[in-house]
Amino acid sequence: MSIFRVLHAELLKLKRTLALRVIFVLPLLVALLQFFALWRTRKFGADFHLWETLPKNMLGIWAVFMMPLLIALETALLGGIEHSDRQWKHIFALPIPRHTVYLAKFVVAQVLIAASTLFLCVLTVLIGLAIMRLRPELAQQGPVAYGWLAKYAAFVWLAAWLIIAIHTWVSTRWAGFALALGTGIGGTFFALFAASASLGKYYPWLLPMNVFTGERFTAALLLGGAGGAIAALLGCLEFVRRDVN
Amino acid sequence: MQKYLIETRQLTRRFGARLAVDNLNLQAPEAGVYGFLGPNGAGKTTAIRMLLGLIRADAGEVHLFGAPLVANRRQLMRRVGALVEAPSLYPHLTGRENLEVTRRMLGAPHALIDRALDIIKLTGDAHRRVREYSLGMRQRLGLALALLNSPDLLILDEPTNGLDPAGIHEMRDLLRRLPAEFGVTVFLSSHLLSEVEQIASHIGIIHGGRLLFQGTLSELQDKHRAQLTIGVNQPERAIHSLVAAGWGVQIRADGLLGVNAKTAEDAIRINNLLISQSLEVFHLAQAQVSLEDIFLTLTGGKAAAGREM
Repeated sequence: MSIFRVLHAELLKLKRTLALRVIFVLPLLVALLQFFALWRTRKFGADFHLWETLPKNMLGIWAVFMMPLLIALETALLGGIEHSDRQWKHIFALPIPRHTVYLAKFVVAQVLIAASTLFLCVLTVLIGLAIMRLRPELAQQGPVAYGWLAKYAAFVWLAAWLIIAIHTWVSTRWAGFALALGTGIGGTFFALFAASASLGKYYPWLLPMNVFTGERFTAALLLGGAGGAIAALLGCLEFVRRDVN
Repeated sequence: MQKYLIETRQLTRRFGARLAVDNLNLQAPEAGVYGFLGPNGAGKTTAIRMLLGLIRADAGEVHLFGAPLVANRRQLMRRVGALVEAPSLYPHLTGRENLEVTRRMLGAPHALIDRALDIIKLTGDAHRRVREYSLGMRQRLGLALALLNSPDLLILDEPTNGLDPAGIHEMRDLLRRLPAEFGVTVFLSSHLLSEVEQIASHIGIIHGGRLLFQGTLSELQDKHRAQLTIGVNQPERAIHSLVAAGWGVQIRADGLLGVNAKTAEDAIRINNLLISQSLEVFHLAQAQVSLEDIFLTLTGGKAAAGREM
């Protein structure tokens, strides 16, 4: 199938790119922040549970701030690969269905964000284990919360599909980092205000965070997942009709 | 009936109020090199983009291999290789990896990469990253990408643009070899008239979006045959004799006479006539009119003006 051939080509395009390295950098920043915060904490309360607090903090920071920025950066880099030498004119002249090119970009962005989220989970476990060794009072904090971590990492990722779809369209439509990153920064910034609004549960950049709140959970997954798939299809429809200059 | 690999019918495209391509009727036959000539801004690139389906026509049709492009884009593009303006390359990948990206998308055999590299003689540098390539190497790699799928038709937009003389020479040799050695028909746009003159069997001249001429090189040159220039000791008497014999004569700025003689036999006849009149002929030459002269005449001498689209 053409889509697999195009995906295969997309993997090669990633070789030696920042797009591949950055998926490790941002989770590492979140992990370092959490590690030092826990390590330097003077006194833990009696009700402190490491394997409740740490995964929630890690995924919380990831969902509300780092992942939306990573999506903006990743999609801008993926689009930039094609804009830099005006690759679209070469790709569009090939005997391949145009929709496969767009969908491959969307899928690659999803996979990279998933890989980065998975790396964050690995770091969460490693930090937790390290803190249990470094802070003897936490040595008996019980089993690692693998199940919760895996489940909510998947929810956060699924709820982010709509942001990925929006950014995939922006980054393929316009060349240059400014607009792509501006959209991401603007979207994330306004999330701070949208969070307390009743319509906040529909705001794309809040959906990954909303999976942690009971009353917004279903809407976040539906709007993020299904809405993301629909937005990707709409972007694809525009893409295949596009003139290439 | 002549088989055309490229045929456009009343092809038209506007950009706002500007008519970039105006009722273009191209007919590029199979085999050989078709030179698509025009000054910057004439509409060449817009026409080529419509030939490849990169932009849509406002009116008219494109037929490739006798079939309409709109309904058969994917099938037809399997037989077409293209290089539009500067090559589209991934600078962070090697030359071979660039070809591999396209090969994967096409699902073509691996052996085609070596074949393409061999044709453009880039095998030795295929392992180097493209960002280290010279402009000429980039252009050749762009051509290798176009040749990767063993196309029957190669559509090239200004392939020598930006190359130094050695690079132009190299590209010209390569393009000349393609029809003979690989059976590829080359459709080549250029504003470098001298380049096209050396490799094209057929040409089309476009200006202001309209096709001014289309045919073989010899048909074009026949239409704009050179004058016979004559130097003679008594020009007035010579003019009198030539006019009396039915020749059209002009006095040129350099003092020589210009006669509308088309063949070598005409030149012999005129020389004999002048000698028989006891005139002393010290110059007799058939001025070679280059394609560039004809082109400048056709396009009103505005070849250097205009704007690239």
